[in-house]
Amino acid sequence: MILFRIALRNLASHKLKSFIVGGLLAFGTFLLMVGQALLGSLDQSMARSVTGSLSGQLQAYSTGAKDKLALFGDMNGGSDIGTINNFKQIRQLLEAQPEVQAVVPQGMDVAMVYGGNIIDVKLEALRAAEKTGDRARSQVVRAHIRRIIALLAQDMAKIGEVTDLAHASTETRQSLADLQNCGADTFWQNFDRDPLAAMEFLENKIAPLALNADMLFFRYMGTDTARFAKEFELFEIVDGTAIPPGQRGFLFNKLNYEDMVKHKTARRLDKMKDRLADGYKIAADDDLKAWIKLNKDQYKDVSYQLDDVAAAQVRGALQQALASKEENLDKLISQFMDMDDQNFSTRYETFYKSVAPHLMLYSVKVGDIMTIKSFTSSGYPTSVNVKIYGTFRFRSLDKSTLAGGVNVMDLMTYRDLYGFLSADKKQEIDALEKASGVKEIKREDAEAELFGGGAGEEVVEVGTVTPTDQAGAVTAAEALAGDPSPAAQAPVGLAVSPSPSAPSVASGGPSSAQSKSKTRRWSDDIANRVYSQDEIDSGVVRHMAIILKKGTDERKALAHLQSVADAAGLKITVVDWRVASGFIGDFLWVIYTVLATALLIIFIVAVIVMNNSMVMATLERTKEIGTMRAIGAQKTMILQMFLAEAVVTAGVFGGLGALLAVALVARLHAVGLPAMNDVLVFLFAGPRLYPVISPMHFLISGMLVALVALISTLYPAWLAMRVTPLEAMQDAE
Amino acid sequence: MNSENLKTSAASAIVQLSHVDKEYQLGKVTVPALHDVSISIQAGEFTVIAGPSGSGKTTLLNLIGCVDVATRGQVIIDGRNTLELKEKELTRLRLDRLGFIFQSFNLVGVLDAFQNVEFPLLLQKTLGKKEREARVQALMESVGIAQYAHHRPGELSGGQRQRVAIARALVTKPRIVLADEPTANLDSVTGTAILDLMQELNRQGTTFLFSTHDPRVVARAGRVIRLFDGRIEQAGTESARADEASAHAAPQAGGQP
Repeated sequence: MILFRIALRNLASHKLKSFIVGGLLAFGTFLLMVGQALLGSLDQSMARSVTGSLSGQLQAYSTGAKDKLALFGDMNGGSDIGTINNFKQIRQLLEAQPEVQAVVPQGMDVAMVYGGNIIDVKLEALRAAEKTGDRARSQVVRAHIRRIIALLAQDMAKIGEVTDLAHASTETRQSLADLQNCGADTFWQNFDRDPLAAMEFLENKIAPLALNADMLFFRYMGTDTARFAKEFELFEIVDGTAIPPGQRGFLFNKLNYEDMVKHKTARRLDKMKDRLADGYKIAADDDLKAWIKLNKDQYKDVSYQLDDVAAAQVRGALQQALASKEENLDKLISQFMDMDDQNFSTRYETFYKSVAPHLMLYSVKVGDIMTIKSFTSSGYPTSVNVKIYGTFRFRSLDKSTLAGGVNVMDLMTYRDLYGFLSADKKQEIDALEKASGVKEIKREDAEAELFGGGAGEEVVEVGTVTPTDQAGAVTAAEALAGDPSPAAQAPVGLAVSPSPSAPSVASGGPSSAQSKSKTRRWSDDIANRVYSQDEIDSGVVRHMAIILKKGTDERKALAHLQSVADAAGLKITVVDWRVASGFIGDFLWVIYTVLATALLIIFIVAVIVMNNSMVMATLERTKEIGTMRAIGAQKTMILQMFLAEAVVTAGVFGGLGALLAVALVARLHAVGLPAMNDVLVFLFAGPRLYPVISPMHFLISGMLVALVALISTLYPAWLAMRVTPLEAMQDAE
Repeated sequence: MNSENLKTSAASAIVQLSHVDKEYQLGKVTVPALHDVSISIQAGEFTVIAGPSGSGKTTLLNLIGCVDVATRGQVIIDGRNTLELKEKELTRLRLDRLGFIFQSFNLVGVLDAFQNVEFPLLLQKTLGKKEREARVQALMESVGIAQYAHHRPGELSGGQRQRVAIARALVTKPRIVLADEPTANLDSVTGTAILDLMQELNRQGTTFLFSTHDPRVVARAGRVIRLFDGRIEQAGTESARADEASAHAAPQAGGQP
């Protein structure tokens, strides 16, 4: 006890030294504690984000992989992570292990989808009006289509101004000619003579030229959708329904859906509303200003979609809203979009009340059938139709594009797109294709025949596919199912010839390869087929999520499962979510490294400073130490005295630093650390991180600080132990 | 016969030095500090080692105080041959049997007077807290510094500090108290008072051994050992002379037959 008293007194009597050494130790401890608390919470929240959304605690993939699995890292999903063909066997084995709750098959890829095309939609409406004989409606729609064509022609003419059309490709010149042709009055006057031919011409020749037929890219995960929904705790349906178990289907991630599919003007208004709610002001924010400018400049995105009836209504509403007599709709829209902090909320309301109902707000809607294009593993383009059942989100990750950018698709469709077929199945399909005949279809029924029409399903877009490929995909799906339905027995490989003058239906043909043609027969048999668990598990998968039971030690489970898999010769690599997540996992590692480096530097400096000052103190105290030795203090007692001093220094200042850290973390825990961008939203598993300090953090910090103090004490203590009692007598003679 | 002689004198003497040489090594040069010193000090003596600076007073005191070892000869303290003791045992010997009073007091600056006095007892770890504090309290009263118990050395005068040092030296009830020029850093009045105190303590039974070149201290001594160039000169008092004679005689007697 006397030793601690001496230590404390020494500390108090060397104020500057204590201040410097103590400051370093306190700061180091503070940083260590806060860092641990943040990283600990970050690790937990990341675990929640990663394991609860896509990864599961463990992932397994083929040992044949050339690249590492990176669920969140590799945006194109094209890295070679191999394929797994014995998923069923793996699942059975792994799910038999006590720590495993479920194994979910997965495969990530990128899909291409054409964004909605307004001409397609309008032609659909025109066809509906023609079919029901609604003349008035037909005229309105026709006028709208003409107006769109006129705009298209204007744009093409502008291209003509900057490029020499004489050197343009035949295709371009042909397109120009087509536009001029159907922009002319004669085309529309003759429309009623052969409406089907006219509509086909518009559809095949004009629609592909439409302005907003842009390609959308979606990242998606092909998986056992029922198990995915059940096992990933952050998953929840927002709109629509879940994909019925065993059926094909697609679920949009809500954020992805809003960002990619929603009408751009409307989406910008939504984003502005969110940003304004966060306290930003239009007057002082570049993002908001940029969005307003885009909305003003791109008035066509709105006016383009309005037929005359809708245009009149919107014009009236905007005139009222702006108290303006302006007749030009484009100018009205542009003026309306010029919003400021005062009028934003009323205009936002007006937009959704009076304008949005006339717009194609989402180019793809829940319930639609969407054609997804992709390239098979062997490089061939392929496409598959799939029904959109709804949208989902990962709870608390709504705003993060990292998890929010991944959509979900059934495994059967994924396999079709991925195009992985075994050799014998390929043969089977080839045989079926040869056997399939060509079927004559009446022209007025062509649409219905092609798209299983009239069932309230709207075909949004179809990609460019070679007919053989499509036939392969469709027949593959059905052949694999082994379904004795008529469709499977006599698959219909169809390609509508692009030319209205050649209405015959042919299978194959080089011209259809480059044409934008609706070539896929969407059969209810496929859409409504229920695949058995065995069928779902039996095909190829790329990787799988292993969901562990609550409270399982990840590391032990990983080692165990890997050894079990190896023993069974399954050829899979099991990794934990940190590794599987790719750069997200690295991110944590980077923070760790930065923090560790900072701490290392601080503590090295602390050791040097503390060592130095203690050596100085030892030299100053030589006489005192000598005296103690003379009156009977053993060497060990001197050592103890120095150790006590180290412990006291570490205790007092480490404690002070820890106290400050606790105060800061408590404060952060109360208000939360805000996520500044969407990567952080993902890492924080929500908009804010709420760090906590655990007893373990105290223990680790305490030990580290004690270690630092100890190391700095060793040399001075050794010096002190060498002081002889003679030193006490030094001034005698 | 020789060994028997030594035994009897060692048994009665607290300090017994026989033919002690002490040399210091300064580089390659050997500097003799003491030569053929033989002393015997009995319990209850009030002995002064006198001599000019550099005569070897402190060296002699260091050998007796077990903080240094002789180059040749025997140093027996309270019946134990210091040459045969390990460093640890020497330290324990200092703690239990010897008391030290230093020229510049050498108190522990960060401890108050009471704690300074208590310090050796804490090192000994033999007494309980109550007993320990009672002893310290009594001793501080007897040296007249009880009222300064909670003052730090920096807050005390030289005389008060030396009183604290004396109390610290006495607190373990040592067989002998060694004082290295205890009055050198004190003014004459205070020095006299300190000497009075030590003489009083001597009367109560404490054995003192001083080194000094202060004639006033020498005048008070019961016995004077004079050192000159590391050798003992004729002692100044009857008893000292007699003692020295016997100390010299014993080994001589043993060496002659």
